[in-house]
Amino acid sequence: MKTPLFLIIILMAACVYAQDASIKKDGSTYSIELPAVRPELKPGDGKERTEAMCNICHSLDYISMQPQLSRGGWTAEVNKMINVFGAPMSEDDAKVIINYLTIIYGKKD
Amino acid sequence: MNTLFTRRGFLKTAGIITAGVTLGRFDDLVASENKPIIFPEKKKDLILLTSRPPQLETPLPYFKELITPNDALFVRWHLANIPTSVDLNQWKLKVNGNVDEELTLSMDDLKNKFEKATYTAVIQCSGNGRSFFEPRVPGGQWKNGAMGNVTWGGVRLKDILAGAGIKGGSVEIAFDGLDTGPLPSVPDFIKSLSVDKALEDDIIIAYEMNGGRLTMLNGFPVRLIVPGWYATYWVKALDTITVQPKQFDGFWMKTAYRIPDNACACIPGGSKPQKTVPINRMNVRSLIIDPADGQKIKTNKPTEIMGLAFSGGYSIKDVLVSVDEGRTWKEARLGQDKGRYSWVQWFYPWRPAKPGRYTIMARAVNSIGESQPMESLWNPAGFMRNKIEKIEVNVG
Ligand code: HEC
Repeated sequence: MKTPLFLIIILMAACVYAQDASIKKDGSTYSIELPAVRPELKPGDGKERTEAMCNICHSLDYISMQPQLSRGGWTAEVNKMINVFGAPMSEDDAKVIINYLTIIYGKKD
Repeated sequence: MNTLFTRRGFLKTAGIITAGVTLGRFDDLVASENKPIIFPEKKKDLILLTSRPPQLETPLPYFKELITPNDALFVRWHLANIPTSVDLNQWKLKVNGNVDEELTLSMDDLKNKFEKATYTAVIQCSGNGRSFFEPRVPGGQWKNGAMGNVTWGGVRLKDILAGAGIKGGSVEIAFDGLDTGPLPSVPDFIKSLSVDKALEDDIIIAYEMNGGRLTMLNGFPVRLIVPGWYATYWVKALDTITVQPKQFDGFWMKTAYRIPDNACACIPGGSKPQKTVPINRMNVRSLIIDPADGQKIKTNKPTEIMGLAFSGGYSIKDVLVSVDEGRTWKEARLGQDKGRYSWVQWFYPWRPAKPGRYTIMARAVNSIGESQPMESLWNPAGFMRNKIEKIEVNVG
């Protein structure tokens, strides 16, 4: 049986529609573009230093998504970033950042 | 999430380019527009946990389907430089280390020179449900959407290893992907399996998900599939397999992704474990998908409660449902069986006769008698949540 022309056109349109334009194929190369996103932190003393340091390796939503941690909890996180991942930070930076995180993203008690 | 997200069109320039692979750098400019942030090849309603590297969670309603669509599957990367462009003519899978013969395989080699294996398997992040831990723990604050059920197609790892020939005295196999750390001091994301585990029949290197190629954010061009085990081992954008003469001791094995070394992988809330081991096989879980928590239901109207259940490689034998907060339990009907690594859907007909608030619970048992605890089990990394979940509905 012959497929009616209008059906072919509808099917072709559906195919084009189903193709995801968010990945590009150029010959044998597949590419995506990531959205430009830059989450920010809440205002507070030390925000600028925290944003500058904690944005180097990952976005700042790594901080804002966390539950409210105690001072000990935030100190452990910042120490982990320094000792395990090599965050390039002075002792003074660490002090200011831990204070900021505890006050702004810490447990209220 | 309380952060304001902004976006300014798309990246203009690519990041680092080596041998046909580009690793994404993110634009650092704050935008004025306030549009939803959409990641390539992904639905716009995925829940954004972090943007660089991307971590996206699947909203529960997608789990009404037996198979999770590629564009709804969750995304979880560790290191900021993720592959954003791959040239299949240049990309190669390398097998090296303690082998008789090093291999360099192209995508065509994988597809043409090896037998294809296909099965459906649950992929679940170790930290799925972490945000429900009490006391709370730091890490990715996932609800229950860091999982999915996908049909994977690819090549058996053991066939590839047989091609290379594992030398006597080998202990582990290490798996490395194209992603790299943002600074040289950040340990590369490399995972390892014992040689015995790696040679199991069902471990594959997948180049297909649900019949199509892998989405870039889920590990294009190939990823390791270790069915029954947590997804931390399912290395994305895999390109190097290294046979190790001794135990591999990279950060992501030796320090991260570890659980208390006891039967429940649990310790008292807030304490520290004495001894830990690498996380491994998944425990039993069941979730209630429909109705949703807090939904309204009409008195006396016949409804069907629906959910899913799975376990780490042992089929689900029974799902028991309670509509009276755990006082009485009845068996649910199980749906189509897609094998021991897949999740199974379950259905429970219900006609609430009296108005009021009802607590619905579901509990699964697998074929070796493993089940779920009533109270949540705690560990400091927030892994392996599997308590019996509860939802509340309003009948009236
Ligand atoms: C040198 C790189 C680097 C810098 C700088 C850095 N981090 Fe991280 N951070 C990481 C890596 C790598 C991870 C793990 C990412 C993952 O697993 O998704 C991480 C994860 C985290 C997490 C998630 C919880 C955890 O422990 O995995 C938090 C919270 C965090 N970082 C906070 C911070 C803060 C606060 C700063 C600024 C003081 C900071 N980071 C700076 C590399 C860095």
